[in-house]
Amino acid sequence: MDDYVVTVLSNIGMISFIALSAYLLLLTGEISFGQQAYFGLSAYAAGAATAMYQMPIWAGIVVGACAAGLVAMVVGALTLQLSGLYFSIATLAFAEMARLILLIVEIQVDVDGEMVGPEGANGFHGIRWMFERDISLTEFMLLIYGLLALTLICLLLVERSRLGSILRMLGSDDLLAEMQGLNTVRYRILAVGMAGVIAGVGGALYAHFTTYVEPQFFNVMLGVHALAYGLIGGLGTAFGPLIGVAIDIGFLEAIRFIQGYRMIVFGGLVAILLIFMPRGILDEERVHRLKAVFSRRNHARA
Amino acid sequence: MIDFVQNTVDGMMFGSSYALLAIGFTIIFGVMRRINLSFGATIMLGAYIGTWLHVHHQVSVWIVALTTLASTVLVGIYVERLCFHAIRRSAVLASMVSSFVIWMQLEEAAIHLLPERTYAFPALFAAVSFELGPFLFRAEQTSMLVLAMIMVGALHVLLYRTRFGLALRAVSENPLAAAYMGINAAWVTLCAFALVSLMGGVAGYAILSTDAQITPFFGLWATFKGLIAMMLGGMGSLPGAILGGLLLGVVEAHALWYLGNEYKDLSAYLLLFGMLVLRPGGLMGQRILSREALAFRRV
Repeated sequence: MDDYVVTVLSNIGMISFIALSAYLLLLTGEISFGQQAYFGLSAYAAGAATAMYQMPIWAGIVVGACAAGLVAMVVGALTLQLSGLYFSIATLAFAEMARLILLIVEIQVDVDGEMVGPEGANGFHGIRWMFERDISLTEFMLLIYGLLALTLICLLLVERSRLGSILRMLGSDDLLAEMQGLNTVRYRILAVGMAGVIAGVGGALYAHFTTYVEPQFFNVMLGVHALAYGLIGGLGTAFGPLIGVAIDIGFLEAIRFIQGYRMIVFGGLVAILLIFMPRGILDEERVHRLKAVFSRRNHARA
Repeated sequence: MIDFVQNTVDGMMFGSSYALLAIGFTIIFGVMRRINLSFGATIMLGAYIGTWLHVHHQVSVWIVALTTLASTVLVGIYVERLCFHAIRRSAVLASMVSSFVIWMQLEEAAIHLLPERTYAFPALFAAVSFELGPFLFRAEQTSMLVLAMIMVGALHVLLYRTRFGLALRAVSENPLAAAYMGINAAWVTLCAFALVSLMGGVAGYAILSTDAQITPFFGLWATFKGLIAMMLGGMGSLPGAILGGLLLGVVEAHALWYLGNEYKDLSAYLLLFGMLVLRPGGLMGQRILSREALAFRRV
């Protein structure tokens, strides 16, 4: 595969993390405009861990994901009493705050006679883990997809479990969930934290793939795109957001030849799609029907 | 002390343009319970069409102003048909995402119309500044504050003194009950959208002629400033939109003066986040949260 294809595929993989993160919150009925903040915070934290303090990459990913998860839980705790649009705007405000703070932060340490670290608006250069160890783009892409598969399996297991039903229950009626004796506060903070961790893994990978991060990348547009992916692909299953990402990035790459009119075409198509499928391509109903078809086939075989 | 007062005055002048934008958001939210992310882009495309006439056909300023208003209304109707009317009322999320992709679409259309980074934007009146004691007032900003007040006054009359206003309030209160009373909710919503787009066009024209230029960033700027000002004041509240806009302007002006440029936007978002955590209803909003409202509806 040439580098261009590998880069596009890697981008699809890394953006999928933030799409999955937004999707997890959509399940609990909350719309977050701010998942890009956890993606960005983790990119900085993981980059700092490997480039400034010479940790191995797995430690960098763990540091980034944990930092993102912790911050997400704090934000989740602060915004507990908010829902609907209030929650969306609060997450938006937080994400923009985080981005603007990263534009100001300058912490640099001396690594082998070179200053490395976040440099305010100039971004964070020199996250060179990949080059130092001579790892090819293809190998890194396999790491991305390995972790993505792991995340997806975890999410699918969660969806089948009791926790998954509880999260969907919070999404459809949190008052009723509380009546059932569920501790809605705990589950909501858990969901927000999990979403933060997932976005964080993506961010940590992103920092090491591009070797350079800047706050400008983690703007609102990234967050709203992440949200749109889940809705385009469908809210019925964790595969939905992945379909959304593949459609967006894959489709936009495929229609390069109409350069300049891409958003006009793509925007129009998505708007029309949403009219006919307001909960995405793979919505709950279609997923249910697909499952029924598959289980019938299995029964027939048995 | 003089600096402080001057900053506050400047902030209020800027804030009145935020207030004008917030009014548009608050009405759409009040009527539809949905949010129109492409509001800023709608105004931007309208203004771009006006500017395009000005740049390529050298028409008079009055025609630019009228074209801006008319095309903003048309674009607004396009958004309403595609993102709100066509999507059923319960799919709040789909409407929001749809209005977002249409934002991207409108922005790209505007950039195709005028591909350069900035264009001069013609003003209706020549700007005059006047001094009052030690303070400087910029005329176009003072007129913005006056314009905001006139628009809210007119809107108040429209909403509370006319049959259309009554229908609009009925639809926003309970669309089903309004339909039983013989109100055509779809038509009322379309009219509300056209009205809001018209007001957005007026606001956009006033803001752009104060800046004397138009850039492709205007859509994003207008959407976020309007949204923040609305949330600060309280969703769905008209006086709240004005107060929220003024508060946002004053805080930004002080942050810019005392802390520097990079803290201007940061302070705005910090203010918004703090307000949502401590007093989610905003300055003028209802104290009651949707969760409690839900509980009451069940009882």
